[in-house]
Amino acid sequence: MATTTVTNAPAPKTNRLGLQVLDYRGGKTTLCAGCGHNSISERIIDAMYEMGVQPERLMKLSGIGCSSKSPAYFMGRSFSFNSVHGRMPSVATGALLSNHTMMALGVSGDGDTASIGMGQFVHLLRRNLPMIYIIEDNGVYGLTKGQFSATADVGSKLKTGVINDLPPIDTCSLAIQLGATFVGRSFSGDKKQLLAMLKAAIAHKGTVMLDVISPCVTFNDHEGSTKSYKYMQEHEEAIAEVGFVPSFEDIAVDYDPGTTYNVTMHDGSHLRLRKLHEGYNPTDRVTAVTQLMQSHATGEVLTGVFYVNTEKPTFIDQLNLVDAPLGTLPQERTRPAKAVLDEIMSKHR
Amino acid sequence: MGQTFTIGIGGAAGQGVATPGDIFAKIFSRRGLHVNAYNAYQSIIRGGHTFLTVRTGSGKVTNMGDRMDLLIPLNQDTMNRHLDLLTAGGACLYNADAIKPGTAADGVQLCPLPASKLADISRNKVAQNTLAIGAALSMAGIGFQSFESVLREQFKNKEDAVIAENIKLAWAGYDYATQNFKPFANPVPMTDNRYALLSGNAAMAMGGAAAGVKFYCAYPMSPATGVLHWMASHARQAGIMVRQAEDEIAVINMAIGAANAGVRSMCATSGGGFALMSEGLGLSAMMETPVVVIDCQRAGPSTGVPTKTEQGDLWQMLGAAFGDYPRVIAAPLDIADCFTLMPEIFNVSDRFQIPAIVLCDLLLSEGRLSVDPKVLDFNPTIDRGELIAQTNGTSAEDGGYKRYKITESGVSPRALPGLEGYIHTLSSDEHDEDGVLISDEYTNAAKRRAMMEKRMRKVQGIEAMVPAPTLQGSKTADVTLVGWGSTQGVIEEAREILLEQGITANQLQIRWLVPLHGEAILEILKDSPHTIIVENNYSGQFARYLRSETSFVPNGHIRKYDGEPFMPHHIVEAVKEQLAGKSTLSVPMHEIMV
Ligand SMILES: Cc1ncc(C[n+]2csc(CCOP(=O)(O)OP(=O)(O)O)c2C)c(N)n1
Ligand code: SF4
Ligand SMILES: [Mg+2]
Repeated sequence: MATTTVTNAPAPKTNRLGLQVLDYRGGKTTLCAGCGHNSISERIIDAMYEMGVQPERLMKLSGIGCSSKSPAYFMGRSFSFNSVHGRMPSVATGALLSNHTMMALGVSGDGDTASIGMGQFVHLLRRNLPMIYIIEDNGVYGLTKGQFSATADVGSKLKTGVINDLPPIDTCSLAIQLGATFVGRSFSGDKKQLLAMLKAAIAHKGTVMLDVISPCVTFNDHEGSTKSYKYMQEHEEAIAEVGFVPSFEDIAVDYDPGTTYNVTMHDGSHLRLRKLHEGYNPTDRVTAVTQLMQSHATGEVLTGVFYVNTEKPTFIDQLNLVDAPLGTLPQERTRPAKAVLDEIMSKHR
Repeated sequence: MGQTFTIGIGGAAGQGVATPGDIFAKIFSRRGLHVNAYNAYQSIIRGGHTFLTVRTGSGKVTNMGDRMDLLIPLNQDTMNRHLDLLTAGGACLYNADAIKPGTAADGVQLCPLPASKLADISRNKVAQNTLAIGAALSMAGIGFQSFESVLREQFKNKEDAVIAENIKLAWAGYDYATQNFKPFANPVPMTDNRYALLSGNAAMAMGGAAAGVKFYCAYPMSPATGVLHWMASHARQAGIMVRQAEDEIAVINMAIGAANAGVRSMCATSGGGFALMSEGLGLSAMMETPVVVIDCQRAGPSTGVPTKTEQGDLWQMLGAAFGDYPRVIAAPLDIADCFTLMPEIFNVSDRFQIPAIVLCDLLLSEGRLSVDPKVLDFNPTIDRGELIAQTNGTSAEDGGYKRYKITESGVSPRALPGLEGYIHTLSSDEHDEDGVLISDEYTNAAKRRAMMEKRMRKVQGIEAMVPAPTLQGSKTADVTLVGWGSTQGVIEEAREILLEQGITANQLQIRWLVPLHGEAILEILKDSPHTIIVENNYSGQFARYLRSETSFVPNGHIRKYDGEPFMPHHIVEAVKEQLAGKSTLSVPMHEIMV
């Protein structure tokens, strides 16, 4: 077939790898139109594109739920691992221990994380495994048709009129307390903030835990829900304005150290957090948790980066792993050397 | 089996039963003898009752045997419970200051040691143990030499003074026995052979290492914990990533995550932990990620009897995870086989990209056996199957790599994540050749059927790779004993005893449970005049399985579900009873209460 070259068409926009946004897209979404999860997928595509992540170096991992299905709808040129309900943290741990040269992005839901997968989730946080863990939080189990999840607020009402009578689990407080080194909350409808947070997440080395409020238009977007678009528009309260300057861009923009925290990330990027809340301090865990607890009392939904720690070693650093992925070591290196075995055997004589 | 010599040592947990046991086992092993050690104990850290049996001989010693030659009770309880295990020619060595003798059977020698006269008991709480060891060395004609080096090793973290004191104590016991007690009629022999003494758990761990395991994770659970301990203490040395996870659900999923990244990955647990792994096992099957899971059976259900053995998990393994999928299940026949089975099962698991289960039990896991080092091949063939671990930069198949490509064998070449040109999606949902979920638009029945058939086609390949069982003993015999896994040794000895009594028995021992090779089994059993299935469970799990696969119904059953393993005489007596037409189901009673 002959090819026609249209010489005067503008060159498509590309990122620093020469890739187009198209290269970061995935399959066509099968989620409901208007589902918050779709917007999050869009922001992931933008962030990965703008940061110039090589798609083939990314491993997407998820559990089960509408949210966990979404990795099929972004980054189609990346590897994907759709595990079982609640167990993605374990799969990710095993996968990264065997190949830590890959970048890992986990997508989970509030049911997947805060109910069935809680045991695995809290232990992931303790490890500070280098990965991005996103909870697409809609307060319900979308895929099983709208039952309350453990992040639903007390008093929140289902379409059927059922009122939630148990307190929510705040995954952000939990993550801060248990050892994640980059913790924040955002809203699928807050494009600018979410994009900046995702880009900073890509630059971070350690466990990034992002709880993204992501309304379920089908089961939890009505009057009386605290995870609806309307409720979020009325109650979202950013604790700080999130700005991000990637390492490969000029940091010409000045900031005022009196009002803004400047966090230098591992790759040389800069996270700029301009205080909007009295007493905000993203480097102090106690302050961060206190502010989250206070916000629950006032009913506002705090968003932004609550806590960053760029110093704590990751699980991989701590274990002092060999550089090469264990999975591709040549066969002579997969089993113990003869001398080692002889020594071991001598103890059994 | 030939002549054997068996020592029983009993006491409360914390009284130091293990040390004399280890010392005897080592001394026997260094004399070039075979050794079998079995520890009966309870799930408590202090107190209770522990009874260790160490049996030795110049021929193979496959089980704990029927009788005891020497009993060393470290407390009154042991004396009361176990003195009657000694028959004519036996002896009981005990601390006369602390323990009152019971009434022994005719021909049993009671050997009181005046402990306070021979040692400063107030200073050394386990002095009575060392005195008894010394006395035993004399009576069994072992001599003193071998003791000293073994003791030094055993006490390598202790000060010289402690070692010297113990050597002195043992000498005192040795001399006292030489002067006061009658030596055993048959002294313990010596050969030029050299064996390694291994527990089944250590053997499985080492077999895994030999098979190239690079990732091991577990959550502690008796009787599988020994595998974790071996792995953890050799992790650095052997270059294995070893992690203790938060629970067994995490364990199986971590193991799968690691396996998917390309390593050989393994985990071990017992029935309760395995139950938690069930969903993950299905994930491995659906994603076609090979993983090897060891189940060390203990007496169930639920927490059951954590320190006792059983073969009660077979149906859990057969039914683990929902849906149909190819799997393999193998039960090691003895402790040496715990080692050799590992590389074999890894090769099957890798070749067919399926979950594989090693169905072990407490008897092998925690028991110890002398193993000929020649059997321990640390360089077995590693067959990773159709694994694409490297690219030369070129895209695969014109860029159209299909992780779940439909093939005749059912096996699709497996590329590792991160390889250029081999992008793919793995999913627990049913998927098409590309890994795209088939339910994403509408559920495509044709695709679902094709994928199901693709996976299940592997079964033929697996059957061809895994050998069918063969008959042990003469082709014609009065009775055929069918067992599986760890009962190999005890059935073997029962057959020898039966032969001495004029009954010929042959044996069909099943090692590969899935695939079973039903046709081959029927071919063997059809000629047998009398078949009896022997198993360590209540309902005859293997008998039911064999029947469901082949319609075969045996003439009788011998079952045991009291938590203890079979002793040879249990089987011998049951066979005789059944051949005499008195019963078709025998449930022998265990005589040793621990
Ligand atoms: C072991 C197990 N239990 C139950 C289910 C059924 N199930 C599928 S998704 C889901 C809840 C998902 O909720 P969430 O993680 O919040 O995701 P969402 O659909 O809301 O995005 C449940 C209960 C399952 N797949 N596996
Ligand atoms: S059911 Fe709710 S969570 Fe699921 S896709 Fe629809 S809107 Fe999204
Ligand atoms: Mg949800």
